[in-house]
Amino acid sequence: MDETAPVGERGGIARRAGGHIMLGLLGLLCVFPIYWLYATSLRAPQDVYELSVLPWPLSLDSYADAMAKNDVAGMLLNTAIVAVLSALGQLLIGLLAAYAFAAWRFPLQRPLYLLFVGTWLVPFQATMLPNYALLGQLGLLETLAGVIIPTLCSTLGVLLLREHLMSFPKELLDAARMDGRSAWGILWTVVVPTLRPVLAALGILLAITAWNEYFWPAMVLQRSNAVIQLGLRSFMGTEGNDWGPLMATAGLACLPVFALYLFLQRHIVNAFVRSGLK
Amino acid sequence: MRPFLSTACAASALALTMLTAACGAGVGSTAPGDGQAAPVSKAPELGAGEKVSIVFESYNFGQAGAWTDTFNELIGAFHKAHPDITVTAQKPQGNSANPATDTISSLQSQMSVGKPPDVVQLGFSDLDFTVNQLKALPLDDLVGKDVVQKNFDGAKYPFAERARTLGDWNGKTYGVPFVFSTPMLYFNSALFEQAGLDPAKPPATWAEVAEAAKAIKEKTGKDGAYVDCLTKAAKDWCFQALVRSNGGRVISEDRTKLTFAEPQVTEVVTAMQAMVKDGAMPNRTQMQAVEAFARGDLGMILESSALQGTFAKGAGEKWKLGAAAMPGFEGKPAVPTNSGAALFVFAKEPAKQRAAWELITFLTSEQAYTTIATKIGYLPLRTGLVDDPAALKPWADANPYLKPNLEQLARMEPWVSMPGPNYLQIRDGMMEAVESAVFQGADPASTLTAKQGELAKLLPGGRG
Repeated sequence: MDETAPVGERGGIARRAGGHIMLGLLGLLCVFPIYWLYATSLRAPQDVYELSVLPWPLSLDSYADAMAKNDVAGMLLNTAIVAVLSALGQLLIGLLAAYAFAAWRFPLQRPLYLLFVGTWLVPFQATMLPNYALLGQLGLLETLAGVIIPTLCSTLGVLLLREHLMSFPKELLDAARMDGRSAWGILWTVVVPTLRPVLAALGILLAITAWNEYFWPAMVLQRSNAVIQLGLRSFMGTEGNDWGPLMATAGLACLPVFALYLFLQRHIVNAFVRSGLK
Repeated sequence: MRPFLSTACAASALALTMLTAACGAGVGSTAPGDGQAAPVSKAPELGAGEKVSIVFESYNFGQAGAWTDTFNELIGAFHKAHPDITVTAQKPQGNSANPATDTISSLQSQMSVGKPPDVVQLGFSDLDFTVNQLKALPLDDLVGKDVVQKNFDGAKYPFAERARTLGDWNGKTYGVPFVFSTPMLYFNSALFEQAGLDPAKPPATWAEVAEAAKAIKEKTGKDGAYVDCLTKAAKDWCFQALVRSNGGRVISEDRTKLTFAEPQVTEVVTAMQAMVKDGAMPNRTQMQAVEAFARGDLGMILESSALQGTFAKGAGEKWKLGAAAMPGFEGKPAVPTNSGAALFVFAKEPAKQRAAWELITFLTSEQAYTTIATKIGYLPLRTGLVDDPAALKPWADANPYLKPNLEQLARMEPWVSMPGPNYLQIRDGMMEAVESAVFQGADPASTLTAKQGELAKLLPGGRG
């Protein structure tokens, strides 16, 4: 037994090493497209089609070109506004709805909740035209408000927050009620402080989703490229793609998300784990 | 819970089906037209001081840089000339990488909410659908045939003869051709020299192209020639040119019968397949081939002249770009077709219709073509401009690739659009069959015959 142990250990080490090498390779595979994006954006304009792994000489011309052709800073600001307002709105509505579904009993509660779940099954493309027509009637086409408002109610938010609130100790709510707190007071002084990690995680997830949104802004904003994802498309067209500034803009569009990830890594991983998404 | 959930799912699925069915029953479901629509009443001239605002939708506004800037400049100049007409410019809505592919769906969704743009730039492949299903307004009725013809004649330089009728349907002008390109054989002079070929004598027939391509492949190790007309992504405009060059057609002249399985067409597909099998043509996608050529890794490419700027930029100082007319088949003249777009009017109110016509007249004027050619590089359809030292002569002299392109303009044939509401399925289905034969080795004759039988059912009335 003693003789076999080291062999087993060696096998274990080899297996572990093999696993790590495999993971490392898979990691490289995932990172490579992002590396290629930045490599292409840093090539000189005449080298944009080169296939060398290390771009040389380095050049910022593509970034200058992108900034000259599009108001990249304005686009980033607009996208940030859309992402933040959309995430905050979804959090607020999600919180109120989830609180109602979890902490209260009212007629037709279950069917109403299932209706909410049901809306998750309807793809965005099916509701796109009615939403577009409604925005047209409200005069909100071509505005950032038109991009934000239809996204304000997120089933994911309601679902996730309700699940968390269901596991929330009822005794705490009862105790607060006996203390004479109003439902509104309980929500903000008892529920929200306890849910803070979940709200933070969900908020980040929703903001990243809104930041990356492309389809809906492309419908609403026909007369401008106000958000960065639309700015990206403006370098593609019938006469071929302008890869340098396209990659430069894409590189800039990724930076805020990377920064968010760097500072709030734990929350983001948490968000993905909690939502069951990958 | 479970039964309830599954009921909810089923109900949602049903609701979804109804919703999507409702979306499908949009503008396109109107009765198939035959171009004999009731005449539209004439739009009166605008009164002095009458203010009108119109919307102009063009895919050129989807592209940053020279395209958007030039068009904004033109709209600005139009405002100066017509201070009472306000033009709001917009790109097609949609999420395709190439905004030019969103034009029809964009127009349909705006029509579904009752607000079509007043002037729209649409491709020639959509002509039948644009006229018969989307009901573009006949300009001959709107402003009078003589006025339309006078615009083609121009102040000084008329439209190229063959370009004048490209937006016509049943003898009436619906669209004024605006921008377009023809297929050209671009080549890498440096690779030609390395392979012992003479860049001053580029191949003029497909047999010569195949031979030169093989020489390049053998002597330089780089790929030989790519024909960007043989995939679904390329659409069918220059495939039609290849077919016409061999005396065939993809659809009968009366547009009632698909003819892309006829021997003249299968010969073309077989010749192209042979180039792939022999290694003369790389088995690549459109995007890969365009980029390989721009990088200098491909000897020749048959490509739209619209991509010339991309190639010139890729070549830079590294290699020299050459251009020649589209090659033909042995003993037969090459017949180029055109890709591109025309301007159509969808305005509902008479004042907007008249303002729309004013915009079209301006955008197709000598002044506008001079701006468009010099700043974007599109072909000036008023070809006489290139001989005028005060207009485009200096630009034409500095552009060595222009001559073969302009020569092709004189003998080109129109890109024929497929008929009926299923025109895109027919076009794409045909190109899928071509692609599977050329690049995946399927038997050309049987593949094209099977596909033709299948697609014939999609013609209006299911005619074979």
